[in-house]
Amino acid sequence: MDMSKYRELFLSETREHINSLNQLVVTLEQEPGNRETIDALFREAHSIKGMAATMGFNSTARLSHHLEDLLDGFRNSGDIPSVTIDYLLEGIDLLDGLLDDLQANRPERNTEDFLTKQPVSAADREEKSPERPMAAVDDESSKAPPEEPDSFQVLIELEKGTPAAAARGILILRELEKYGKLKASKPEIDELREGGGCEQIQAWLTSLVEKEQIKETLLNISGVANVRFIEDRRKNDRRLRRAVDRTIRVRTDLLDQFVNLTGELITHRNILNTAGSNRSWDELNTALERAGRLIDDLHHNVLQVRLMPLQSITGRLPRIVRDLSRKSGKQITLLLNGTDVGIDRVILEEITDPLVHLVRNAVDHGIEAEGVVTVSAGREKDLILIEVADNGKGMDPQTLRQKAVDSGVLNQAQAHSMSDRDALMLVCRPGFSTAEEVTETSGRGVGMDVVRAAIRNLGGTLNIISEVGTGTRFQMRLPLSIAIIKILLVNCAGRVLAIPITRVQRTLDLPTSEIETCGQHRLFRLNEEKLCMYSLAETLNLPQAAAGDTTWTILTEVRGQRIGLQVDGFIGQRDAFIKPTGFPLNLLTGLSGATVEGDGRVTFVVDPQALLEKHQMVANQ
Amino acid sequence: MALRVMVVDDALFMRNMLKDIFVRAGYEIVAEADNGEAAPQLYQDTKPDLVTMDIVMPKKSGIEALQEIIATDPQARVVMVSALGQDSLVLEAVEAGARDFIVKPFKEEKVLETIRRIVGQD
Repeated sequence: MDMSKYRELFLSETREHINSLNQLVVTLEQEPGNRETIDALFREAHSIKGMAATMGFNSTARLSHHLEDLLDGFRNSGDIPSVTIDYLLEGIDLLDGLLDDLQANRPERNTEDFLTKQPVSAADREEKSPERPMAAVDDESSKAPPEEPDSFQVLIELEKGTPAAAARGILILRELEKYGKLKASKPEIDELREGGGCEQIQAWLTSLVEKEQIKETLLNISGVANVRFIEDRRKNDRRLRRAVDRTIRVRTDLLDQFVNLTGELITHRNILNTAGSNRSWDELNTALERAGRLIDDLHHNVLQVRLMPLQSITGRLPRIVRDLSRKSGKQITLLLNGTDVGIDRVILEEITDPLVHLVRNAVDHGIEAEGVVTVSAGREKDLILIEVADNGKGMDPQTLRQKAVDSGVLNQAQAHSMSDRDALMLVCRPGFSTAEEVTETSGRGVGMDVVRAAIRNLGGTLNIISEVGTGTRFQMRLPLSIAIIKILLVNCAGRVLAIPITRVQRTLDLPTSEIETCGQHRLFRLNEEKLCMYSLAETLNLPQAAAGDTTWTILTEVRGQRIGLQVDGFIGQRDAFIKPTGFPLNLLTGLSGATVEGDGRVTFVVDPQALLEKHQMVANQ
Repeated sequence: MALRVMVVDDALFMRNMLKDIFVRAGYEIVAEADNGEAAPQLYQDTKPDLVTMDIVMPKKSGIEALQEIIATDPQARVVMVSALGQDSLVLEAVEAGARDFIVKPFKEEKVLETIRRIVGQD
């Protein structure tokens, strides 16, 4: 029977089971005698075993069987010692690794070491060897030199006992050189020149040639038994996550809705046709209006399908926090609130790493010895608010200012005039870290600058609230969907531009006479608050229109400060399908996409926040 | 046009066997030599598309002959023919510019596969 069509489903379901296993083990650690948790763990392992065996993934089946047996033993005694918890977690990690292998079409990694060893306590293990022994991890990809975007690793296995293997190896490497840049190989060509054995060749290659073509040619070389490609693990994981997402489950009532709505749209097409041939404007307008409502409904339902609960990414957090607590010796409690909120899965995918980073940060820098990290989520109008809060020592804006001055990011005057809010945002500057030293926990390559960039790319905002001695809250505000958003159309220097409505707090029609000039700045009052006014045309280097009696202004926020953005007029707001701009337009700061108008014209969508930040940066210099 | 091949081997048995394989494949045998000394001049005279070169031969070894041929024509497609256990010689030949190698005893399809691959590439 052809099992390949079940592969995707197997992979995505098993990931879910692994997620549950992780959560359950962490729960079990807190309540070691909880019989229900042990039963649930047993069932999860049992499910994985059954699926893996059916698919013929033997190592995965064997490992899950082993875990199932182990758990079954404790179902009767009802109490799991802590060494076994560690052993279980190690086993779950190994399962996760096996799944990575299957997903990447690699042979399953070796599990023998894990299966044959007995659970040992963490303390014992540390005595035996300073390094935590990894459970037979096939880390081909972790040895890779720094990756470039279009680079990959190729593994060429030679036939057993192939004659003149070293010479064969040299010919293979020469062959690879024809396809692009051979960055490194193992063994190196010089090692081969000295003769010596060679059973397989690992090569890191940058190439534009199709992998299949490379593989085909290599397989034609005599002595070559097998050719495999190994991608950069991080890139791979992300792509695989996407692949898994392709099989999300949809409620049947939602599918019924689609059929209904499609049916009604077809009916409406007929009504429109009739109205058109009758040349009846009244009928046409009525039908168009109703068709518009149907499309809104359809849009709403389509969004529902794309929504996934935040849980699907917060599921990993208890385990991560548990491991971090262990490692750092801190007592951390993790609370999750409102994680059933639905978020567009594209957004969910993009914020996975930032969210994990924020939680790591909270554990690492926020909390000193003991505390609570809270991840909460909820709807806030058209936005999703996700907050990572800790009740730790908090951040001191003054310390941050001083650090910025010491490291040359700001001069004294700039630091002095910087608001507390802006000072907190300094942690998002590339390379700006508040930690005394980079710890293993936080030094994972994702910095706060990357977190902020990821949020901004999604059209969201990051806000930091902190109080010394009370704690810090990182707030991410994200749009519900990124493909279809509400935009505000404005006139600017004779053209029409769009601004995402999520960036607009209010629109104002200000009498021009009320705008004051103060040095280089223009200021206006809003509820007793003095705010800076910028001109959209000026930030875009477009000619500015002469000032009329009214100054049309968009109230927006840049780096936590409210400002006014002057435009030449408001046209209105509407839903728009935004497409990203291609190269080279995608290199322009502040241009976040484009949408096509009814008459075929293209309207560009500008992100005032990115635009003004760049403008201010240039102005400061 | 048929592929023009030159066969260099001191054993008539091997030469005939290779020649038969090539003729069956529709190739044209334009030259043959039974030692390394004659091979370079013969290569110059006939300009074959491909050379199969035994490694161990009287007078001049296949590797020396290869080096001379490559010196006059860096694009020369020379495939070494070696016996088992001549790994270091094969390595030397590859270093000197041999495009590939065939190890005796060989199978007809292996020989043709290797040759097609090399000719197909340029």
